[in-house]
Amino acid sequence: MRALVIDDSRTMRRIVSGTLHPLGFETHEAEHGRAALDLLEGGLDVELACIDWNMPVMDGLAFVVAVRANPAWRHITLMMVTTESEHGQIVRALAAGAHEYLIKPFTPEAVRDKLDLLGLLPIGEHA
Amino acid sequence: MIAVVERDQVLAIAQDVFAAMVDGDAGRLQPWSGTLPSLEDPVVAWVDLHGPWTGRAELTTERATAQDLARALLGMGADEAVSQLDLVDAFGEVANVVGGNVKSLLPRQGTLGLPQVAAAAPVVPGALLVQHLPLSWRGRPLVVAVRAFDHPVLSEGTPLA
Repeated sequence: MRALVIDDSRTMRRIVSGTLHPLGFETHEAEHGRAALDLLEGGLDVELACIDWNMPVMDGLAFVVAVRANPAWRHITLMMVTTESEHGQIVRALAAGAHEYLIKPFTPEAVRDKLDLLGLLPIGEHA
Repeated sequence: MIAVVERDQVLAIAQDVFAAMVDGDAGRLQPWSGTLPSLEDPVVAWVDLHGPWTGRAELTTERATAQDLARALLGMGADEAVSQLDLVDAFGEVANVVGGNVKSLLPRQGTLGLPQVAAAAPVVPGALLVQHLPLSWRGRPLVVAVRAFDHPVLSEGTPLA
């Protein structure tokens, strides 16, 4: 499976990608929502996008809205990975079309559990 | 409306962040015992909080420690040189996650600014030092502080509006 990791911090992109690789994901990275849309518009096909909220150029919520506006990307599972833990923000993201929400800091086990909930773990990785 | 940013809450946030992001296990970040030494070549990473409550969450440590933090976060070897870009990104992200979790303690949420890193954070006139935690990360000094802007009449540790 392929995942797109979207975060303006290279450090956080590395941490998220490093968590996904052992779970069988090939990862691609983008530094903000606009760069991620460019990758998708360029033909990159992914099953999962892990999305930070606060980013320059295009934030994570705007990216979620843009992805959900395109039927061709309906199959992409969108998971917010962010420090925004306010209930209202979580509701906004889910209402816009995000499937799951993971709050930083997170453990590899927390990522694995969320992916399990989403049905995105390969056979043999299920809890 | 009253909100409290307690010392223990800030300590728990910092320890959780370091355990999950940096060290992979708990216990490497502890309260500093004794008098904190003056920091050599300090570096500050901070995020500002905007909205009903304005303030700042900041981490300060020595440049060499911030470089080791970046090495740990970026999976670099102990002898690898850390670029300024990597230091800013890694140390800034730690401040970002700490700041985001401090924001979650407030009853009226605002927005989080983007993280910044410099030799010193800009001074905000009238800012109040709400919490100041001298800590030890792997035996080296690191300070986590929370400042409130626009609350000039409150003393340290006071519940915040």
